[in-house]
Amino acid sequence: MTIGVKKVSLERRFSDQIFLPAILQGLITTARHFFKNTLSPGQEDVDTIRYGEPDVRVEDYYPDRFRGVHRLMHREDGSVRCVACMCCSTVCPAKCIYIQAEDRQDAQEKAPKSFVIDELKCVVCGLCVEACPCDAIRMDTKQHMTATEVRQDAVLAKVDLMKRGTLSVAIQGGVSADFRADAPKADPRFMHDPR
Amino acid sequence: MFSTLITTGITTGITALRRVPRAAWLLAFVVSVVLPALPVLGASAAPAAALSTTVVDLQPTRIVFHPDTEATRVELHNVGTTRVRAENFRIEGADWAGFAIVEGLDAQTIDPGQMFSFHVSVDGSSFKDAKAYRSGGAELRLTVGGERRTVPLVFENPSWIWTHFIPALIKIHLIALGFVLPLASLLTWLERKQSAMMQDRVGPNMARIQVGGVTLRLWGLLHIATDGIKMLFKEDFVPRRAHVPLYTLAPLMALCPVIAVFAIIPFGDALCYGRLFEVVTQADVDQCAAGRGGTPLQIAKIDVGLLFYFAIASLATYGTTLAGWASYNKWAVLGALRASAQMISYEVALGLTVVGALLVYGSLEPHALVHAQLDTYWGIVLQPLAFVLFFTAAVAETKRAPFDLPEGESEIIGYFIEYSGMRFGLFFLAEFMEVIFVGAMVTTLFLGGWSLPFGLMGASGFVSDVAALGFFVAAGAGMIATGVLIAASNKAVRDFGRVLTALGIVHVLIGLWAASSGWGTAMPHILVVVIGMTTWGIKVFALCWLQLLIRWTLPRFRYDQLMGLGWKGLLPLSVANIVLTAIVVYAMMPSTGSASVTSTTTATQGDTPPATDREHTP
Repeated sequence: MTIGVKKVSLERRFSDQIFLPAILQGLITTARHFFKNTLSPGQEDVDTIRYGEPDVRVEDYYPDRFRGVHRLMHREDGSVRCVACMCCSTVCPAKCIYIQAEDRQDAQEKAPKSFVIDELKCVVCGLCVEACPCDAIRMDTKQHMTATEVRQDAVLAKVDLMKRGTLSVAIQGGVSADFRADAPKADPRFMHDPR
Repeated sequence: MFSTLITTGITTGITALRRVPRAAWLLAFVVSVVLPALPVLGASAAPAAALSTTVVDLQPTRIVFHPDTEATRVELHNVGTTRVRAENFRIEGADWAGFAIVEGLDAQTIDPGQMFSFHVSVDGSSFKDAKAYRSGGAELRLTVGGERRTVPLVFENPSWIWTHFIPALIKIHLIALGFVLPLASLLTWLERKQSAMMQDRVGPNMARIQVGGVTLRLWGLLHIATDGIKMLFKEDFVPRRAHVPLYTLAPLMALCPVIAVFAIIPFGDALCYGRLFEVVTQADVDQCAAGRGGTPLQIAKIDVGLLFYFAIASLATYGTTLAGWASYNKWAVLGALRASAQMISYEVALGLTVVGALLVYGSLEPHALVHAQLDTYWGIVLQPLAFVLFFTAAVAETKRAPFDLPEGESEIIGYFIEYSGMRFGLFFLAEFMEVIFVGAMVTTLFLGGWSLPFGLMGASGFVSDVAALGFFVAAGAGMIATGVLIAASNKAVRDFGRVLTALGIVHVLIGLWAASSGWGTAMPHILVVVIGMTTWGIKVFALCWLQLLIRWTLPRFRYDQLMGLGWKGLLPLSVANIVLTAIVVYAMMPSTGSASVTSTTTATQGDTPPATDREHTP
């Protein structure tokens, strides 16, 4: 095998010297983008996500594993799923989760009397979610912690966290991550990139 | 019922188009490119004798005399298929003694396709009382092919206030306040929006206004207003060691010449007072363009038109130079020097490029230049090289990318570095008005001014029924295609798209009616004027769009490249263009010595060319 030399012609042809063909080519390219974005449905080439627009849900554009503000999930009777096992507060590297446990009346379980997360301290690592055996704490709200006027507003109590929560149908106790057979199908909106 | 049908149809169309966007593009292409070509083919195939109702075309249909008017020519065009006899020429009416038929009093026989002309003159002294002229009138009567015709003859002596001052004031307001300033502020928005669309961004879209409960955003159009408010309320900064009088004067020196040069741009042919709803002929319009019984749609119809442009436009350089010098800032001075050098380099090429067009069309007066293009071909056809050169040099004159060395955002900030607030705003506005002016000038010199392409329209309407049908159907089809596309694109503008579609359908119906009733070839004067002005506006806007496209596509020049292009590229090419044009024009000259392409713009020419000299069909 020999090493070949590719000769690139640096000679300026007439069409190069008068600029016009290249200029026209460039103009056609930009004009094509202009008309495509102006006339076509949904401005095809524009990738901008229009944050803050009234009819745009940021949630539609975030990936499913985005870590946002925490929430506490519900049982079927609407009570909190958390059994106050302290896994999350133990694993939390920022030490921002404060749990006080109490006894549940309806089962031989514990429940959090208070469950407070200081979102200002949180480093959004997601370890609490991984540590949770009960699918009780999640970070899939796809919401950012918004700016607050006083620090105390960024410290979320159990009520605030449960307000964001929904029903979880995972088997309580962390037997496995599998869903029950009768579990509702996941929202298809979150299963693909809607763009 | 009808609207339901339309809505259903559109909705179905939208659904289909959403599924197959490529088909939509194909449809738009067919509708916008292929259909407009059809009337051209049809117009060339159709016979020219569309005026079947009138056997003889009499021009002008009304003659207005002023004290300084020479003999006015009356033309009888036989557009029928048989020979006709013209006889019984006489002048009757109150002031019959004041007018006279100069020649051709005998009965004449005009063959089909031929033209007969005679002159009518006025004796001003018979309208002169002890102190001043009085107005009066009579009628020229003749019998053509057994049919009696009457041409009103009017003598009037209006003051210069009514012939020149008031019309000029109205036209200045119409052009400056009605076109240039709105378009300039629109361009500030378009520059941002268009560059965004070209670069796959969204662009300005956040400014909004609330009317009742409805929030209007209008594609970010309101940013024009917010920008203006911002400019007005920003700090008006003056550097400590600046030369304050010149520093204040500079923005005005940049802005005023740009407004002034619009005076020579013709935005239409001419408007005849009191005849807005009649059908007029080209001879009538020419008479109005000369100021008799009407006014040219041009602020200043001066013979040195293009020289005026070069003289005044060069003054704008003083604005940039003074701004740079008075700012007491070394970067500003650098920018000012660059601006001066660039102006000098490109002004030379600009002036020489126009000479080619002058050789071909034989006039410096823009109104006459456009008419010469109507009689022959547009400048872009006869002078393609000059078009490219002129456009390049003119874009360089606007000091925008790729020729933005005087500003040079990335190195020196340029001659207006110390300016802020509305002083800077004036520079900004002047820049965009220059863009519009370049568009208007290129339109006038190379794109036939207010005229429709292919000579589709004359002074009394479309040249043939096929042309009328083709124009309206093509315009309507374009509107429908755009409307459907817009309606399919965005929920917010769906209603706009539907309205556009409905308008398109109306256009198609108008076209069908115009062609079947003969209305298309005999349109009211005001409609012809409005279509002409709209055509002019569309051409100017399209050229502005093209300039923005160029500004956001091409990279900037290095300084030596800029000078090299000006002196070693454009200048020799424009000289070559002059030599080439001169040779061709000389070769095509008839032996009589007059230029091959002469303009016949005014009806008051002293000489009487032979009847066969002038072709009637465009």
